[in-house]
Amino acid sequence: MEIILNLLVILFVPFLMIGVIRKTKAFWGGRYGASIFQPLYDFVKLIKKDYVISKTTTKVFRLTPVIMLSSILFSSLFVPMIGSKTIINIPCGFLIFAYILGFSKFFSLISAMDTGSSFEGMGASREACFTTIVEPAFFMLLASIMALTGNYTFDSLTKIIEFSGSYGVLICIFAILVLFIMILTEGSRVPVDDPATHLELTMIHEVMILDNSASDLALISWSVAIKMMLLSSLIGAIIIPQDLSLGLSTLLYLLLMFIISIVIGTVESAMARIRMSHVFEFVFIMSSLALIVLSLVVARMFGG
Amino acid sequence: MNIYFIGIILLFLSGFISAIFSQKNKLKVLSTLLAISTLFCLKPAVMVFLTGEKLSYALNFNPIFGEISFNIDYLSAFFIVVISIMSLLSIIYSNGYLKPYIEKGKNVSYHTMFLPVLIASMMLVVTTSNALAFLIFWEIMSLSSFFLVIFENEKKEVLQAGIKYLVFMHISVLFIIIAFAIASINASSYDFAAFVQVLKNNSQLANTVFLLAFIGFGTKAGFVPFHNWLPEAHPCAPSHVSAVMSGVMIKTGIYGILRILSMVEEPTKFASFLVLTIGVISALYGILYAIGQNDFKKMLAYSSIENIGIIGIGIGIGMLGLTYNMEILSILGFCGAILHILNHSIFKELMFLAAGSVYVKTHTRDMEVLGGLAKVMPKTAALFLTGSVAICALPPFNGFISEFLIYFAMVQGLKINDFFGLVAILLSISALALVGTMAILCFTKAYSIIFLGMPRSEIVEKINSDNTKVMTLPMGILAGFALLIGLFPQYAFKFVLNPASIILSHNLELNSQIFEIMQTISICFLGFILFTLLLLFIKAKLNKNVQSYTTWGCGYDRANNFMQYSASSYVSPFLSMLKPLFKKVFDIEKPKQLFPKKAHFSLHIDDIEEAYVINPLVKFDEWFLSKFEKMQSGNIQSYIKYGLIFLVVIIIGSLFIG
Repeated sequence: MEIILNLLVILFVPFLMIGVIRKTKAFWGGRYGASIFQPLYDFVKLIKKDYVISKTTTKVFRLTPVIMLSSILFSSLFVPMIGSKTIINIPCGFLIFAYILGFSKFFSLISAMDTGSSFEGMGASREACFTTIVEPAFFMLLASIMALTGNYTFDSLTKIIEFSGSYGVLICIFAILVLFIMILTEGSRVPVDDPATHLELTMIHEVMILDNSASDLALISWSVAIKMMLLSSLIGAIIIPQDLSLGLSTLLYLLLMFIISIVIGTVESAMARIRMSHVFEFVFIMSSLALIVLSLVVARMFGG
Repeated sequence: MNIYFIGIILLFLSGFISAIFSQKNKLKVLSTLLAISTLFCLKPAVMVFLTGEKLSYALNFNPIFGEISFNIDYLSAFFIVVISIMSLLSIIYSNGYLKPYIEKGKNVSYHTMFLPVLIASMMLVVTTSNALAFLIFWEIMSLSSFFLVIFENEKKEVLQAGIKYLVFMHISVLFIIIAFAIASINASSYDFAAFVQVLKNNSQLANTVFLLAFIGFGTKAGFVPFHNWLPEAHPCAPSHVSAVMSGVMIKTGIYGILRILSMVEEPTKFASFLVLTIGVISALYGILYAIGQNDFKKMLAYSSIENIGIIGIGIGIGMLGLTYNMEILSILGFCGAILHILNHSIFKELMFLAAGSVYVKTHTRDMEVLGGLAKVMPKTAALFLTGSVAICALPPFNGFISEFLIYFAMVQGLKINDFFGLVAILLSISALALVGTMAILCFTKAYSIIFLGMPRSEIVEKINSDNTKVMTLPMGILAGFALLIGLFPQYAFKFVLNPASIILSHNLELNSQIFEIMQTISICFLGFILFTLLLLFIKAKLNKNVQSYTTWGCGYDRANNFMQYSASSYVSPFLSMLKPLFKKVFDIEKPKQLFPKKAHFSLHIDDIEEAYVINPLVKFDEWFLSKFEKMQSGNIQSYIKYGLIFLVVIIIGSLFIG
């Protein structure tokens, strides 16, 4: 039952999250804004269109959108979603999750470079650079929590409170912050990236897909949205209590996704995009927060 | 076992036999002979894996060496398998690679002479159980590979790199000699079996021997800070030789470390942490410099250091398991390390051969002048891409499996109830993640700058065809191996479990939990590939019209090749983040005047260790030795005088001491 629900969630919720974020931004901007279903309409519209492809590109360019989508859908099997249940629950499943995402990133980078455009090269170069900061911090966070709980799957996220005693709230807050910055970076949101700008020089993810069109573009934007939702689900695994009835946990899960979207939208409205040279500093906050989690865990285990 | 020696002798002879033939047929003869002899050598190794019994053989060399024993246990058999398959494939490839050289009239005789000698000496190194014989074979291996490195000996930088290699190898062998000497004095025998007796009982002695041997073998393997020869020697050698050297030969260093480990009862805490730390540092250092290189073979050489570092992390974790008495840790760590040895030799050889294919066509190793090669060399491009994905440890290829095992070992190590142990492992996990993402940066750069985009110079525009089958077939086989191990990791795990049991000195039961995880991974990856194919099929069915147009350039449609992102610019944000870690050397000619004619910019990343440690040392050495220049007068009388003084000193000295 959870599997079917999870699949439904993967199909629709990512679009709705993007819709809610845009609606929130419109609200803060004093506009009425498009319907929250607009991203879904865009998707369907794009699927129906014909392609315009650059002459410079090779097969890699045409393969990448499919590879991105399939790898991100595949990685969703390893993430706890509704009721914190993971479809394939093996020890170190988080490795497969992270490395499959790496696989999709690899292809998205070379596909951007495939066009021979300097803009897309710039985007790819920055995206690759951010990954090198984000990924180690993510691993550090997960490893610390696994050391704390003695559980080597994503389930360990659900058990933080149980194992960390008086440190519980602190560790939870920092862990959520780490994951939230990761969502902003990987989902290419403000203040790291601006999905709405038209100035190519300041964009990261959006500029990488400048030459993608029609269903290629549709698949890529869907997969990025799914990625954002999967990372949000990890926050869900920390916050949402387990052992609830299916209906209640579904409701809580959807509510959480809604709240996270609103928070992202609010952050985007309240903050300007950071200057490129300072973006690294922002992303590095994630590493330092992960280090704090690490030291808290070590303090908890050896300091009483 | 006899058949093994027939194979080895045939290997030694094949160089001489092929020397008789004309330049044109030489390589064909050599490949055939090598194919036969490696099959001979493979047979006992396969027998060991099938029957599970150790093969031993003793040759009597009285009175000089005494009895020299040869043993093929699981560990040796594993290395024989790796050596024979990888060498054979690269020799087949060399048929195509050396063709242009032969057509230009280059004499390849001495090259074909030393290649089989190198292979034979590697085989002997991994089988002999006698310290003296081991050192002799080790020397033959170093020397023969030196002659292979200086293939293009008319170039000055090739000779320089060769000499550097030679010097480093002799520093390395010095430490190994000391380690073996200490062990053999205590054991009063050169036989490894006698070493085991002594080292198992005397832990302090074992520790000293291990550390000395680690430095010696680590230099061969390329651990930081003894790595300096590697990025010099590998790019200069012909590609098939770099493939053998990087894929196989540096692994003999790892073999040495593992062999000494199998003799030691329990490594000390210090040694375990040292190996782990050096592994982590090597991995980070190697990949960091790989990112900075624009010479693609140098990049691959640095990436070898990275992978050796990952193997080192595996070994370090395995040793921690021994120290803390956590068997699951040692099994996973050593299995991961050994599997990574196999994996690295597969994908690094694939990468070097693919890089060689590019070099043969373009005659340059500089990425900055390439680009758009995927259109003219589609097969090479696809194979290079496969290698890149595998080397970044991305699923569903083989690199992921070994890194998964090492990660899994580290995650199990989180149970260690020790402050330093826990923190070290937590940091190593994130370091390995960092290495993985940096590898993605490094190899996306390499692939996209060499093969994608528009040609960056006229070199590429002249190329009109891909390489011949002789060159693409061995690469295809290697790519197939990479995918097979990735898709069926459970069998790969079973395969490396036995060599790991040699290090732990007792038989290992197949751990059903890990086996099941591997099975799940296998099913998942197969499903993943099927799912991707299904999506591709659906997309093809949608069947939309495709219009071709130039790349979007913000309305400007006269973009030229030089406006593309270059290799230096691609990695620049990352490198500027880590400025203090290397020496940047700029070569800039700025545009001048109102109508500038010529300008250029290039950036080289120099090895910090070379700039601040090795070069000052060499300078000091030169200065110091120049003080003795006067002694070499060229005057025969003074040389006789030196001889006389020496004799007198010896005689007087022996009077006092004797």
